[in-house]
Amino acid sequence: MTERLQTDVLVVGGGGAGFRAAIGAREKGAEVTLVTKGPVARSGASPMAGADLTTHGQGMRAAGFFGEPRDSEETFLNDILHQGCYLNDQRLAEIYVRESPDRLLEMVEWGIKVSFTDERAVFTSGTSIMSTLHRQARQMGVNIVGDTAVLDLLVEDGRVAGALALDLRTGGFLAFDSKAVVLATGGWHRAYTPVTGSRELSGDGVAMALRAGAELANMEFVTFCNNVVYWPPMHAGSIFTYVLGLLCGGVLENSDGERVFAKYDPDMVAHASRTEWNKCFISYISAKEIQAGKGSPHDGVFYRVGDEPFEEFAERVRHHYPGWKYHSVDFSMVAEKLASGEGVEVGPAAEYFEGGVAVNERYEATVPGLFAAGECASSPFGANRVAAATMEMLVTGAKAGWSAAEYAEDAVSAAVDVAAAVEAATEPLRRDSGVAPAEVRRRLQAATQKNLGPIRTENDLKAYLSLLDDMKAAEITQLATRAQTRRYNMEWIEALDLRNMVQVLEASARAALARTESRGVHYRADNPTTDNEGWLKELIVRLNGGEFTIGTRPVNVTLASPPQGRRPYLAYIQQMMQGHSDIGGHH
Amino acid sequence: MGNTRVVNVLRFDPTVDEDPYYQAYDVPVVEDQSVLDVLDYIHDNLDGSLAYYGHAACHQGVCRRCLVIVNGKPSLACQTKVTGDLTLEPPDKLSVVRDLVFEKRTDRLPDGRGDA
Repeated sequence: MTERLQTDVLVVGGGGAGFRAAIGAREKGAEVTLVTKGPVARSGASPMAGADLTTHGQGMRAAGFFGEPRDSEETFLNDILHQGCYLNDQRLAEIYVRESPDRLLEMVEWGIKVSFTDERAVFTSGTSIMSTLHRQARQMGVNIVGDTAVLDLLVEDGRVAGALALDLRTGGFLAFDSKAVVLATGGWHRAYTPVTGSRELSGDGVAMALRAGAELANMEFVTFCNNVVYWPPMHAGSIFTYVLGLLCGGVLENSDGERVFAKYDPDMVAHASRTEWNKCFISYISAKEIQAGKGSPHDGVFYRVGDEPFEEFAERVRHHYPGWKYHSVDFSMVAEKLASGEGVEVGPAAEYFEGGVAVNERYEATVPGLFAAGECASSPFGANRVAAATMEMLVTGAKAGWSAAEYAEDAVSAAVDVAAAVEAATEPLRRDSGVAPAEVRRRLQAATQKNLGPIRTENDLKAYLSLLDDMKAAEITQLATRAQTRRYNMEWIEALDLRNMVQVLEASARAALARTESRGVHYRADNPTTDNEGWLKELIVRLNGGEFTIGTRPVNVTLASPPQGRRPYLAYIQQMMQGHSDIGGHH
Repeated sequence: MGNTRVVNVLRFDPTVDEDPYYQAYDVPVVEDQSVLDVLDYIHDNLDGSLAYYGHAACHQGVCRRCLVIVNGKPSLACQTKVTGDLTLEPPDKLSVVRDLVFEKRTDRLPDGRGDA
């Protein structure tokens, strides 16, 4: 039995982008249903964000905060293009810069809690952002459905007409007939280890869009947050040590006790240590130590206090985080490991996915009726994100929500037959024997972290793609659950997630293999040059009759011309850092 | 090392079982693990049929959906360090979806704090 529900605009995903899209579609008068796979208002990566909302100094002033008076739209844009290593779609970057002040102002008016500000950012928390958006969406009459996974888009006559979903608690199927769909399902953090976002982030929206015929862009670019906890296991995936490194200092050491920063240009280290360039640069240099066999026991590096006495360091920590509590979580275990000198094992962890569903200025995908926002859309940030993704989700969510509502005015819905899709989705429940989903997922996570991490090579990527081929042929088709129950069957959910993860990872690995240069967060050890003669273009991935095709399109350059020529990877990054304005702050 | 600990989990599928029952698992001792890490170990290595709020858990004390009774005390599984044998039960036995997963009123904020 499949229940059918009607709505004008269906929003898939319940993080910040999804909620802002739902509010946006309501603002234009559409009837809106938001479906989220996890807990209502606590889904996705948004609740775990630090979190800051970035805009330029003029936008800060317009929202009532101190803002650097010399800052402007042009300066902010200049910095975002340099941070993106000039691979940004400049039309999308311009939207981010121009619309971020309005999104900040409304969040203040809607009651967000502000803890402090810098030149270009208002610091709040991910939970405050989500609670604010959730309250606003409820007041505006958005229908919200939690603990429900959307499995596939429904396509009729070449346009998207709804989606098939599964209520995870009861195991019942729901078919949503809608005039437009906004995908806001975030990244595929779950494909890596450790996982920094919520575990439901398995690239579902990107995979569904791919299967529906949509183009994906920039899939090779993944931002790894540096200094994420690998060990102790209780805090694995936490960015607390990243935040400590940024605000309180500390050192990174390899297994020989060598200081990792000492090997690099002091100016680059200084710039990367005080801004969010750290995610690109420090993740890269940490991965180099790990690949050179100088990692910690759990394949990270050691985060330690350094030369100063622990008590002096701890004094600074207590100033920011009294009682070693960060967002109400007790990190005294981290304090003990720093005090003893043992240190915490940290390293790069997938945090933000630049790539995703290719969109135009309306945040419309290449399939009619389909829109995308937030991390699951291709980003305004090009090859490296420094400005806040939490602001991106608000700007792009609003944009996609408005566009979807406008599209829905003239569209009609269709009741697409879902019997075959339901039959396919229940296969893992009906197999008497087969492969355990968790076992496949663990192998996939380890292989992805190793081969599709901050450092890539042709050999590794080819071996990884062949592993994905084997998994597709022999395992994904043979996944079986131990229990046959439909009620909250985690193995069943994992089996459905794995299909999406493998498809998205194949798109990402194929793009990483095709980009035979290094740029931003994509470093190819066998092609260590940034090549502005040959590679100022985006890679576009599509699925055609089950086969991946990969093409290129030139970067949209509407405002600022990239520098010419080719440069070694780190020299180009240094050039990009030097191209940054003298506006301070973390961005 | 090489030690194990006993983890007793109260299991119940309201569509199949007449009454809840305890099932015991032997789990290897690993230092600095949380209760959620132990549940993951059981699910991934011993018994894939075990249900706890794992599919969208945040593991970082934020989503608060891994609330479980640990040795008689309501606790977040992801933020509770394991120190010995464990008995795990759902926080609200009347609204069990399956095993440790319970129905949550969605018209309230998941963290229950007065933010709304």
